[in-house]
Amino acid sequence: MPETGGSSETPGGAAPTFLHDARSLQRKLVEEYYRDLEANERPRRPVAYMLVGGNLAEILRSFGFEVVFPEIVALNCAIKHQSLDNILHAESLGYGLDVCGYVKNDLGLQDLGGKTSFGRIPRPDVLVCSFSGCYVYVKWWEALAESYGAPLFMFDVPYMREEVPRKEDIDYLVGQLWELVHFLEQRTGQAFDMDLLKRVLIESRRAEDGWVEFLRAGRLRPSPIEAYFESIFYMFPINVLRGTPEAADFYDVVNTEIRARVRDQTYPLPEEKFRLLVEGVPPYTNYRAFWDFFRKWGAVSVVATYPKVGGLFDRGFRHDPARPFESIAEYSLGAYVNQSWPLRRKIIADYVKEYQADAALIHGIKSCRSFTAGQGDLRDWLIHDQGVPTLYIESDHEDPRYFAPAQIKNRMDAFFESLEQRRAVAIAGGRTPA
Amino acid sequence: MPELLQLRPPGEGPEGGEAPPGIEISPDFREFRQAESVDQMVRLAREVLADPTFPTVRAWRSAGGKAVGCFPVYTPQELVHSFALLPVAMQGGGENLEISRADAALGSFLCSISKSTLEMALTGRLDPFDAFVFPYICDVSRNLDGIFTRILPQRPSHMLHLPQNFTSPATIPFLVAEYRSLIRKLERVAGRPFSESDLRASLEVFNTQRALVEQLAELRRETPWKVTLQEYYLLLRLGGLLPREVHIPLLERALSELKRRDRKNKDAIRVIVIGPFCEQPTLELLQLVEDVGLYVVGEEFQMLHRWCPQITIGKDPLQSLAAAYVRTPVDIGVRSTPTTKGAAVLSRVDATNAQGVLFLTAKFCEPALEDVVLYRRALEGRGIPYLHMEFEEKSTTYEQARLQLETFVESILFD
Repeated sequence: MPETGGSSETPGGAAPTFLHDARSLQRKLVEEYYRDLEANERPRRPVAYMLVGGNLAEILRSFGFEVVFPEIVALNCAIKHQSLDNILHAESLGYGLDVCGYVKNDLGLQDLGGKTSFGRIPRPDVLVCSFSGCYVYVKWWEALAESYGAPLFMFDVPYMREEVPRKEDIDYLVGQLWELVHFLEQRTGQAFDMDLLKRVLIESRRAEDGWVEFLRAGRLRPSPIEAYFESIFYMFPINVLRGTPEAADFYDVVNTEIRARVRDQTYPLPEEKFRLLVEGVPPYTNYRAFWDFFRKWGAVSVVATYPKVGGLFDRGFRHDPARPFESIAEYSLGAYVNQSWPLRRKIIADYVKEYQADAALIHGIKSCRSFTAGQGDLRDWLIHDQGVPTLYIESDHEDPRYFAPAQIKNRMDAFFESLEQRRAVAIAGGRTPA
Repeated sequence: MPELLQLRPPGEGPEGGEAPPGIEISPDFREFRQAESVDQMVRLAREVLADPTFPTVRAWRSAGGKAVGCFPVYTPQELVHSFALLPVAMQGGGENLEISRADAALGSFLCSISKSTLEMALTGRLDPFDAFVFPYICDVSRNLDGIFTRILPQRPSHMLHLPQNFTSPATIPFLVAEYRSLIRKLERVAGRPFSESDLRASLEVFNTQRALVEQLAELRRETPWKVTLQEYYLLLRLGGLLPREVHIPLLERALSELKRRDRKNKDAIRVIVIGPFCEQPTLELLQLVEDVGLYVVGEEFQMLHRWCPQITIGKDPLQSLAAAYVRTPVDIGVRSTPTTKGAAVLSRVDATNAQGVLFLTAKFCEPALEDVVLYRRALEGRGIPYLHMEFEEKSTTYEQARLQLETFVESILFD
């Protein structure tokens, strides 16, 4: 998920030379988004709370809703070192140590009045729970519904166990989408406008094309993009602003910059020593330090799974104005963590091949069982079944108390050192190094 | 040492090592069929639970049967049963299982039941099973299915998506389609096609079991001095491990004895226990709850028997099963609540005439942990006392738990 636009700091404390126009524009879009939310008092537009995975932003936008994503607010708090206060407050309300950090940040923030350094988060008029890939979503939205007294629509998204959605899944989802439309019509007094939705979807599709072009640049050698740390900046428009012309235009700027990098040979690092696949949610509270642990060893992530939490666009999916509800239904199934482990393993195996990854790094987080439960088994599979050197480390994305920098750095140093040694041995033996 | 059952000699383990010894049960389950007293039934149950090699499943297999491991809540056991397969509740490894390999495969911050279940799979203790079902009751249960497909590729594992939208007309047809996906796997395991009449018969069997379980729960609710918490729990626990045709008459005999029991009503505090709907607390902890002076008159143990009241069997039994899930009024943490959590907990307190609530939540069980806050808020609004304790499968000391429970009891007594 993206960083907010307020900070001028960059990872490592020095501006990476490869971050230019797109990063500035991303900051501006983020600032405008929160400013508009805060300014949305008079006349007030209705506010919907929604989750990133399988979100239905296009439908809500077609009804004129402002859409708030509490997950994104939470990560914005974390990256600005503001999450711990909210988490501690939630714990004082009774939320235990083992509850998801996103949930605690959000419920703590809400109880403290919703004020952040990047804007005040408005109260919801409706809550739309896209139960897609994370069971905690259900519990979280129930808590919000009780706290705010706002009506809750439960959009139940089947878990993906086969690569192609079943007809029953699509029928079920489309049925619920029409019920959502009815729910929103009742609450807004507005009639649903299919033509408007189609126009929104055209913009969504344009943004998706641009986002995928950016992600696929990681296939080049050397990679002109940082597919984990940099992608995280650029996830904001595809997840939060999707369906607006601004989001689609943003990726035109991004890709112009990427093409310029290739032309000028401006890369994330002076030398790309290791091409990494990264799996897992980043430790937002120590984002810069974590990135430094990669940079120090010349390690560039060329592909990552986390930027796909909002949808697997790089695997071919696009919103389709010619099939509006069906394609929204298909989209909702496509959140990365809504894929079964066999599907996740296949995606990762394909990524290793397509992006020529030398190794994999898995970052498990305490908060998220959906993403993390089984990542140890994934490591075993990558090493033993796929022959990919893999490191598994743990911390948290929201709670800085679980990020142990010395321990993580030690493990990463040892891992990269062993990769270097392995490469030296291969070269000495006349083999092609991994 | 087993008191009633034979100890199986060590044998060849799944990885060439020595398999842990386990107890032996007769293939016709005569030990359970012939158990006349509740004492005897409870001792048998203790021996079965102390053995993490699933002795009842081994007995079933030795008679030529096949078995399906079911993660504890909302697995449609009736469907498994209709194929003449034995549905068996997988409720963790208990206190006697050492976790050595599952930590590495799962990660650190996960509940005991997921780790012990995986440990049993990795160490061959689940070899007696032919297939597994993991309902989507939480992200960990869901993900276990994906791990099982890799580590036990020869045995089908199925993740059953449980809908959370209970108002849509599209939900029941979707759940029927989900059941049909499971049916296709069960047909392969059983080697026979699905039959509506067999499912109808299975629904009847489980309705009978449910009715008896409800009678036992009512006995406990109305006259808790007649059946101890451990007796109650162990009698229910057997229901997920034995063939239902063995458990049903056993429960009938137990109920007959328990209803006639003449025991003195103690001056204990009536509480309901919320939280252990999946992972189960240790028997020692249950004993402690009663020892300190609490009567548990409502709880969430063994929800595999109690996720719905009687299933109304209509023309299409698969539809009946799906409708039962969608329309059940039973509210637990792994299902979205149609009203509010606050209203739900208060109605349970009122229905059981409870004086307090004991939250017993498994360590790292996020669904349970998140509900506790909403429940607490409602209880505080009515001035109803509560205590929240966490537990794990392997607990070595109960001193702190005793202190907490005693303080809770005293706070109510001297209020």
